[in-house]
Amino acid sequence: MDEILVVLFAAVALIGAAGTYFQRDRFNKLIAVGITFGGIVPFIVARGYLDVAIVVSLIVPITTIIILLLCRRRDAHDA
Amino acid sequence: MTPEFVLGCIILIIGAIAAGFPREKTYLARLIHLEIPAFGLLLIMLAYDEMLALMTFVGVTAISTFVLVRAIERKEAAR
Repeated sequence: MDEILVVLFAAVALIGAAGTYFQRDRFNKLIAVGITFGGIVPFIVARGYLDVAIVVSLIVPITTIIILLLCRRRDAHDA
Repeated sequence: MTPEFVLGCIILIIGAIAAGFPREKTYLARLIHLEIPAFGLLLIMLAYDEMLALMTFVGVTAISTFVLVRAIERKEAAR
């Protein structure tokens, strides 16, 4: 992978990781986790592990949906 | 020192700090923060070409998230 692409995707992953920590609302946290996932997957694809990319792409949204089940039950004020 | 390894170490440290010292001390925020060091560890395993460990780790992370969501639901319902 080119150096410029490495820097770009690493920046996306770091922005997502830092954004998860600094966001206060729980839905914003989940969206920032999705941004981190978007920065991680090109590294997996660039190494040639397409099967691992398939597994990660299936399991990470499922995990997000499972956490959304917990988000629905909570009140809005104690995010 | 591949770029995957460096980025994985940085994300692992950010995630460990986020999971250890969250800004809002709710179970849900800690659970969402726990996703970040999982991504960091995934990148470090990718740097060492451990494909089977990577797949196992992703699967076990999803199952453990499901178990933790069930446990937190019980705890919230009892409160």
